[in-house]
Amino acid sequence: MAHDCIIEAQGLVKTYPGADRPAVAGIDLRIKKGAFYGVLGPNGAGKTTTLSICSGLMRPDSGLLDIAGLDIRKDLTEIKGIIGLVPQETAVYPTLTARENLLYFGAMQGLSGDRLKTRVDYCLDVARLTPLADKRVETFSGGLKRRLSLVAGLIHEPKILFLDEPTVGIDPQSRLFIYESLKKMNSSGMTIVYTSHYMEEVETLCAEISIIDRGVIIAEGRVDDMVIRHSGSVIEVRLNAPPPEALRQKVSALPHVSGALFDAKTFTVKSAKPQQTIGDIMRLMEESNLNILSLCHGGLSLEKLFISLTGAKLRE
Amino acid sequence: MKRLYHSIIKETKVIIRDKEALLLLFAMPTAFVLIMSLAMKDAFGDKGNAAFSVVIIDNDRSVVGETVTEVFSFIPAFKVEMALPGGITDPVKIQDDVNAGRHKFAVIIPEGATKGAVRRIRQQLAFTKKGPAKEVSIRLFADPALRPDQNHLAASTLNRALQGIENRLLWEQFGEVSGVTPQGSLKETAEVLRANKPFAEVYPESPASNVQGAHKRPPMPTAVQQSVPAWSLFAMFMLIIPLSVTFIKERQQGALLRLRSMPAPAWVIICGKAAPFCVINQLQFVSMLLVGIYVVPLLGGDALTIEGGSYAGIAIVSMSASLAAVGYGVMASVFCKTAEQATTFGGTSVIIFGALGGIMVPKFLMPPVMQKITVISPMGWGLDAFLDIFVRGGGVRDILTASGALLIFAIACAITAGARFKYLSR
Repeated sequence: MAHDCIIEAQGLVKTYPGADRPAVAGIDLRIKKGAFYGVLGPNGAGKTTTLSICSGLMRPDSGLLDIAGLDIRKDLTEIKGIIGLVPQETAVYPTLTARENLLYFGAMQGLSGDRLKTRVDYCLDVARLTPLADKRVETFSGGLKRRLSLVAGLIHEPKILFLDEPTVGIDPQSRLFIYESLKKMNSSGMTIVYTSHYMEEVETLCAEISIIDRGVIIAEGRVDDMVIRHSGSVIEVRLNAPPPEALRQKVSALPHVSGALFDAKTFTVKSAKPQQTIGDIMRLMEESNLNILSLCHGGLSLEKLFISLTGAKLRE
Repeated sequence: MKRLYHSIIKETKVIIRDKEALLLLFAMPTAFVLIMSLAMKDAFGDKGNAAFSVVIIDNDRSVVGETVTEVFSFIPAFKVEMALPGGITDPVKIQDDVNAGRHKFAVIIPEGATKGAVRRIRQQLAFTKKGPAKEVSIRLFADPALRPDQNHLAASTLNRALQGIENRLLWEQFGEVSGVTPQGSLKETAEVLRANKPFAEVYPESPASNVQGAHKRPPMPTAVQQSVPAWSLFAMFMLIIPLSVTFIKERQQGALLRLRSMPAPAWVIICGKAAPFCVINQLQFVSMLLVGIYVVPLLGGDALTIEGGSYAGIAIVSMSASLAAVGYGVMASVFCKTAEQATTFGGTSVIIFGALGGIMVPKFLMPPVMQKITVISPMGWGLDAFLDIFVRGGGVRDILTASGALLIFAIACAITAGARFKYLSR
């Protein structure tokens, strides 16, 4: 294991009983200590399964996984003591108060006495829930519940925090609050592994990402590098009218084009030789009597990159 | 242990804060115990102090009528209601009354019954040379809703009275011939009839008299002795619903996932959840005992009596049944995917266990084949053990087999649940 990596996975494979293909089909991960690492992927890509394996909830069928120098197969209890998990669901008890929830989860993490009380007060303060500490969670809004859920994962000061889409269904204010809190925790040295569908928040928060699709990592690295690297090969064209089917086929069949995505009056192509492809596209448009309103090469957003890599087809 | 303590505290708070569900856990068995103890009071044999109303239409006004009335009055199972002067004496109307259940039995003694009996005896003793004397026609009507054994009780009481009268009259007639006259009035005749035992009396051997025997048969409890343990067990097992629903909710809300990511052992989480439910089970059982002892008699039923049974034995059976119920609940919560599934499966399986285990229909009323089938129901094991204590006065030793079976059931459920949980977590 590299000395600067806190999570290192090699060839993780996991197939659910009865499934016809593996949910995770040979994933390698290297996450540095103190990183803010994003895991992206469409629904069913294998993000949650990867996170579940890394947080010790699930055993891989094969592969190696070291967490902070500990082997997941041998040292699971120790690993559980240094990680925190914030699941997709709010994962708190609605009929208990915020304080009671934190006391319980803290005790389950092995805290007790004054240390437990201090940590509960600290977490309530971090989540700005102190005035509501003794109110039942069932009376909370979605945003308040998410804040409580976040700090419940921090109660024992974990070295690594896994967050599985923690901002789903909450208002922008609560989302911003969670971003700010996570940035502070990361700047204090905590490693954060974050899955999300929101590209903007991943771009804002994560320095490094990996994009998973069909159980394998299809791209990984620093967000900026990835966008630059992949932007060079992606051309986005906006037309004055929807391209006819015949034109779509011609665009897809152009030399050096490895993928084309059509969306109403816009299409995106991925090309190994973009300059040549731009010329080919302009020629095709002229032949088809279609006007190009704009042509963009190299100015990709993460979302465009994500779509170009994983495809626009709806997933199950 | 601190983790277990916090886990128990958390679960207790979660349970207590759902007040409606908690109330239901106690109200449901209380209602069942009260209703069934009162409703089934008359259906549980002679221990139930059941008094069947008997109307005696005495048109004889002599030895036969008066003696029959006296004998029925003496037996606690009957409450004699004489037809009032001017009341209904038409046999058809009386039969209609009995058929409608307004009276359980009616005895119609015709005018001249005593004279007819004397005439017949004299003829039998050949004092007269006339032709065969007419039989005296005494009629007994029975409510069609009564069981055959209850009908038989009334018929045998009446026939025994008539046989006694015949013996008495025979003795009188014989005395007239021999010059030895029996002493005493008619009332004394009735007393002689009921006080004098024949030279031998035969009764069916009751299960209570054969407790240690090799041919041990199901005991005959009173309604309250049956209802209190039966419906307490039913309520205990009904706990499968709230237990599995809270487990499934925890799973759906993600709290269980969070807990699994923590270093707390699985047994702490499961025991922390199960312990408060076991306590609720015990409180349910104690409440039902108190209802049986104090509330049922206030409403006209019999008080629950334990008749020398072992309180330690009761506690052991109650605890074993509780563990079996909780184990079953944990297993259901692992196998059921949704709360709706758990509610349906839990409710249905508990009702089936209850029906097979003699909760709804007492075991002793079942045909022999069904009595054998009751062995597949853990509720049946618990009920048998409780009845051993309540009815037979059994001790700890008598309930060890049943309690052991309940504990094995609990362990089997826990192992199955653990295996399934591991399979799902693969």
